[in-house]
Amino acid sequence: MRAMELEQAGKWREALVAYRAALDSSLTASILGMERVYDQLGKRDSVLPLIDTLIAKRPNEPTLRTIQLRTLAYLHRDEATAAAFEKWLRTAPRDAAPYREYARILLDAGRSASADTVLQRAQRALGGTRDITVEMAQLRAATGLWELSAQSWREAMQTSPYLDQAAVFSLFPTPDSVRGAVRQIFRAPPVQVESRRALAILELRWGSAREGWNALRDLPPTDDAVKAWTEFGDEAEASGAWLVARDAFAAALAKTPTRELAVRAANDALSGGDPTSAVRLLEPYSAATDSESVRSVLPVRVRALSALGRAEEAEALISANATRLDSLQRVRLVRMAAWGWVRAGNLAKARAAMGTTPMGEDDDRTMGWISLYEGDLRSARHILKRSSETNPEQLLALAFLGRTKVDSAPQAGSAFLALVRGDSAAAAAQLESSAATVPDAAALMINAAARIIAARHDDSGAVTLWQRVAEQYPTAPEAAEAELEWARVLRRRGDTAGAVQRLEHMILTYPRSALVPQARRELDLAKQSVPSP
Amino acid sequence: MTPRLRQPQPHRPHPGLANLTRRCRLGVIGAVGFALSSSIAGAQHLLIPMDDAQQNHLKAYGLTFNALKAGNRAEWFINYRGGSFLLPDAPDLRRLATLAGITLEPLDNGRLSQIRAEIASGNMDAVTLEKAPKIAIYTPPKSPPWDDAVTLALRYAGIEYTTVWDDDVMNGDLKKYDWLHLFHEDFTGQLNKLYLGFRDAPWFVEQRDRNLETAKRLGYASIPALKKAVAERMRQYVEGGGFLFAMCGATETLELAIAAHNADIAAAYADGTPIDEDVDSRMDWKRAMAFKDVHVEQSPFTNSMSDIDGHQVNVPARRQPLGQFTLFAFSAKFDPVATMLVQDHRTVIPDYYGVTTSFNKAVIKPGVTVLAYEEGAPWVKYLHGDYGKGSWTFLGGHDPEDPQHNIGNAPTDLALHTTSPGYRLILNNVLFPAAKKKPLKT
Repeated sequence: MRAMELEQAGKWREALVAYRAALDSSLTASILGMERVYDQLGKRDSVLPLIDTLIAKRPNEPTLRTIQLRTLAYLHRDEATAAAFEKWLRTAPRDAAPYREYARILLDAGRSASADTVLQRAQRALGGTRDITVEMAQLRAATGLWELSAQSWREAMQTSPYLDQAAVFSLFPTPDSVRGAVRQIFRAPPVQVESRRALAILELRWGSAREGWNALRDLPPTDDAVKAWTEFGDEAEASGAWLVARDAFAAALAKTPTRELAVRAANDALSGGDPTSAVRLLEPYSAATDSESVRSVLPVRVRALSALGRAEEAEALISANATRLDSLQRVRLVRMAAWGWVRAGNLAKARAAMGTTPMGEDDDRTMGWISLYEGDLRSARHILKRSSETNPEQLLALAFLGRTKVDSAPQAGSAFLALVRGDSAAAAAQLESSAATVPDAAALMINAAARIIAARHDDSGAVTLWQRVAEQYPTAPEAAEAELEWARVLRRRGDTAGAVQRLEHMILTYPRSALVPQARRELDLAKQSVPSP
Repeated sequence: MTPRLRQPQPHRPHPGLANLTRRCRLGVIGAVGFALSSSIAGAQHLLIPMDDAQQNHLKAYGLTFNALKAGNRAEWFINYRGGSFLLPDAPDLRRLATLAGITLEPLDNGRLSQIRAEIASGNMDAVTLEKAPKIAIYTPPKSPPWDDAVTLALRYAGIEYTTVWDDDVMNGDLKKYDWLHLFHEDFTGQLNKLYLGFRDAPWFVEQRDRNLETAKRLGYASIPALKKAVAERMRQYVEGGGFLFAMCGATETLELAIAAHNADIAAAYADGTPIDEDVDSRMDWKRAMAFKDVHVEQSPFTNSMSDIDGHQVNVPARRQPLGQFTLFAFSAKFDPVATMLVQDHRTVIPDYYGVTTSFNKAVIKPGVTVLAYEEGAPWVKYLHGDYGKGSWTFLGGHDPEDPQHNIGNAPTDLALHTTSPGYRLILNNVLFPAAKKKPLKT
C-alpha cells in the first residue's frame, strides 16, 4: 500500500492524502493509518469529523466506533466519550464490543469504578461475563480483587490460551498475602496447561522459580506439557534459576529424548553446582561418537567429571575421542581435565596434564592457579596478575595474592586448594592456621575462615575468629566486616545490647566503609526501629 | 487497614542521650532572629540540610527531637533548603548523626551569618525549637507498632512517645501530653464497618471483644457510646490547648462522633439500634473542628462513613483513582505554622489511599487552612486549623509509602524510604508543637 510506504518514510501529509484516497477500497487499514498519521502531526482531533462521516455511512463498523472512543478519551472529552459509547450501544445492543472497548479505555485511564459500572451493564445486557472475561479480569486486578481476577483470567485462558502473558502482567502486583489464593485458583482441577503455564511464569516473576516448576511438574506428559516445560526452562535459565531449568528440561527429556535437551539440562545442572546430575543426564549419549555428539556432549561430560574430581575418567574420554577432536578442542578438554586433577587434589597430575598441551594464555593461567595451590606465590602472582576470574573462591585467592608480599606459603596454598576442592572444613582450618605464615594477609585469611565456619552454622567458632580480626587487626580492611558479622551473630542469639554496641562501634570506627549501610540496617533491626523482615 | 496482630514491642528512647537533661523554653525567631541568636554566636553549629543533600530526612527529625529532649536548643530554618535544622555542634549529636546516616554540615559563625541574611531576605524564617513535645499515640494496648504510619515514623526516627487508650483518655491523662496522635480508629464505634467482611477473622473478633470489654468496664452500653465519650474528651483536649494530629479514618470519624452528640450514627450491629433516620439534621457541626454539613452514610452495608472522604476507597462504585497532591506554599514570615507543616523537599507528592483518603472541599468549614490539594479535584489532602486554645491537623490516607495498603500487607520498612516526602509531613507535625505559634497575619 503506497500510503503506508509514505507513512514509513515520514511523509505525513502525502500519506494522509493516500490513505484518504484508499478509504473506500480498504477502510480499516486506511482509517487506522490516518489515526496514526494525525497523531504524528499532533492533530489527533482531526480524525473525528472524518470518523463521524464514516459512522453515518457504516454505523455497525466496530473499528470506526473504537477509534472514535479512543480519540475522544485521548482528548479528555469524557462526556462525549460516554455519549459515543451510548450511541454505539444503540446500534449494537447485543454486541460485547462496545462494552469491551469502553471498559478498556476507562481501565487504561485508571477509572476503575466507571469501568466496573460499564461491565456490570454488560453482564446484564449480555446475560453473563463470557464475552467480557478479559476486561473483568483486568478490572478486578485494577481494584485489588486479586482472587476474582485470577478466576476471570483462568476462565479467559480456556478459550484464549494466548492470554497467559496478559494474565501474568495483570496479576504480577498481587500482594504476598493473596498469592496463595491465586495459586489455588490456577492449580485447581481440572488440570489445564494454560493456567499452569501462566502460574509458573507468575511464580518466576514473583521470584519463586521452584514454585513455578511445581505448578508444571505434575502435568500429564502431553505434547502441550512438553512445550510448556521447555518454554519454562528457557524462562528459568534467563532468570538464572539453573537447577529449576534443569528439572524442566529433564522432564521434557523423559518424554521426548533429544541430545539438545540433554545438553541444555546438563549445562544448567553444572551452572547450578550439581555436576553429578549433569553426568547422569548425559549418560544415554556416552557411547555416541558422531561429530555433533563429540562437539556438544563431550565437553559437558568432561567438564562435569572434572568438577567431580573424576579426572581419570575425563582423560579416558578425551583419549577415546582423540581422533575426532581437532587440536583446539583437545587443548580445551585437557585443560578441563587438569582442573579435574586439581579438584582431586593431585597437583602433580594436573601439571603433567597441562604439560601435554601447548601453552596459550588460558593454560598459562591454569598453571598460575596450580602454582598458588602448591604455595609458589611468586609464580602465581606473576602469572595471575591479569586474571579475570569471578567465582568467589578464586576472587579470594586473588585478593590474597594482591595483599601478601610473601613468596612461598605452602600451607596457605593448601588452604586455597581445599577451598577449590569444596572441602570447606579443611579450608577453614588451614586458612586460620596458615595466617601466621602470611602476616600481611593474616586478617584476610582469618576472616575468610570465619565466613566458611559461619556458613557451616558454627556461629561460636566464627565469632571467635571475627573477634580476633576486629581486636588484633583493627586497621585491616576486614575489620569492619568482622565486626558487622560478629554483631549479626550477637543479634541472632538475642544479645541485642551486645549487637548494638558492636554495630555502633563499627559505624563510628569505619564511617567510610562500604558496609556502613548494612550496619545501619542491622542497628535499626536491633533497636526495633523497623519491622523484622 | 486494620491492625495486624503481633506482640507489642516496648519503645525506648535513644540511650545515648539519656544522661543529658537540660531543658529549654519556647520561642520564635522571625525577622528578629539575628538578635536572639547572639547567645550561640561564639559556638560552632551543625546544619542539618533537608533538601536533596540529606540522606535520611526521617532520622533528621529524630536527631532534632532528641537534641531538644537532651536540653539543647535548635532552630528550624523553614523554607531554607527544604526546611533545614540548626543544632549546636555537640559530640553526642555528631555521633548520633553518624550512626543514623544523617547528612550534616558544620557551620562557623561567619557562614551562619550568611545563611541568616539569606533567610531574612527571602520567604524563609528561623523558628526556635526549645522543648521536645510530650507525645501520646492513641492506640489499642496490643496494637503492633507497624500498622500506623505515625508510630512507624516515630520508631524509625527514634522519637519517644507514650501510647494511650480509652482508659487513659477517660481518666483525663491527655493533659499530660503536648501532642496527641490518632490513626484509623473508628470513633463512630462501628469498627470501620468491617463487620460484614471480617466478622470471623481472629483479629476482628479480638478488636471487637477488647472494645466491648473496655466499654463495659468504663460504664458504657456499647462501643459507639464509649467512642463518642472518648471523642468528646479529645475535643476538650484540643479546646484546652492541645495539639491533635489525625490521619486516615480517625480524621473523619472523630468529627462525626463529636458532631453526633445528639444523634445515633452507629448501625444496629454496633449498638443494637439503627442509625437515626434524620441523622443529617441531628448532627451538630458547630462543635466540630474541620467539617460542616456532612451527609452521614446510613447503610451498614456500604463501607463508607460519610461524604467527607473524596476517594471512598472501600466502595467500588464510588472509588476514585489516586492522583498526586501539591503542598501549598505559605509565607514563612506571616504564616510560620502552616509553613512548618508543609516543609518538604518535594512539593508534589503521589497520593495514597486510606479508610479516609482525602477531604471533600464542599464540607470543609470556612477558616480551615488547606495545606495540600490535588489540582482540579473536588477534594484536598491535608488540613490544619485552630480550635479553642489548641490546634489540629488532619492528613488523609494510611501510609505515604504504600499507596494501596490492603489488609494483610507487609508493614512498611522505612529504612527503604529514608527520604520519604510523605512521611516528612507526619514528622513536621511532631516538631511543630516544639515551637510557639505566631498569630496568623494573613
